[in-house]
Amino acid sequence: MKFFETTHKFEHNWAQVTAGNWMKYPNEQCPHVIAVDVLERSVDPETGVLRTERLLTCNQNAPALVLKFLGGSTLSYVRETSELDPKTKRLTMKTQNLSMCNVLTINETVTYTVNPQDESTTMFRQEAEIVAGSSLSRFSSYIEDFCLTRFRDNAAVGRKGFETVLEKLKVARQEAHQQLEKAHSQIEKATSQIEKAAASATATAAAAL
Amino acid sequence: MSSSIGEKCTQIKQEYDGCFNSWYSEKFLKGDASPQCDDLFFKYKECLLKTLEEKKLDTLLADARKDNPFPASSSTSSASSSSEPNKKN
Repeated sequence: MKFFETTHKFEHNWAQVTAGNWMKYPNEQCPHVIAVDVLERSVDPETGVLRTERLLTCNQNAPALVLKFLGGSTLSYVRETSELDPKTKRLTMKTQNLSMCNVLTINETVTYTVNPQDESTTMFRQEAEIVAGSSLSRFSSYIEDFCLTRFRDNAAVGRKGFETVLEKLKVARQEAHQQLEKAHSQIEKATSQIEKAAASATATAAAAL
Repeated sequence: MSSSIGEKCTQIKQEYDGCFNSWYSEKFLKGDASPQCDDLFFKYKECLLKTLEEKKLDTLLADARKDNPFPASSSTSSASSSSEPNKKN
């Protein structure tokens, strides 16, 4: 069994990070995630918690030996379940591999919470355990090490990819804000023109009576 | 926006994603949890479920759900705040 743990601070608030989380893929840094599907989604009527179950389809390259043990396919499937509490502002996501789980289990838990020191930033915590089954016998340690390294690399590029997504969203927000302001000023201008026109029409009508 | 596992589901999936993303930021996070994208989700799910069956992933998923039910226990609503009765072993 191998463990992996990391923390990170995102320079975006919790609402922005969690909104971005649903749009994390595709990103250039994570081309191995080829599809993301929503299996179930609901809001708990009592707690207000948003629950989502997703299926991630990944395409991973691995050394021949690893592939041999893992069933020979480069396609793998991951089930992700998440609970998002808008009141406590906490998003917890758990993932587990669906394919080849008889030989290898990877359980990951990720949380996004508000940084108590600075509410404009978000704390990210990621934990994973990697267990190779007994069927891998003397190779299990090798497989676990390979997966741990791969997991660590993916975690790092995943974070980088997510940062890129969050930056893009920030730019899009700023642009939308500018356009909204522009639209507002145009509406104001048009409204004052209409008011003027209406006033003069009323004056003309009054004069005609 | 990301693709669906089923090529033919990608378009409806992305429509649903668009709907959900705006609902999430503009409604849900502002305290309004009333559903807005159900129609799109049902259409998307119909397509998705067919694809999962075709790819024989439905049984894989059913097994995973049996081993790790979500939400964690059968009592859907009793799991208040952060209590997580998920640890089985």
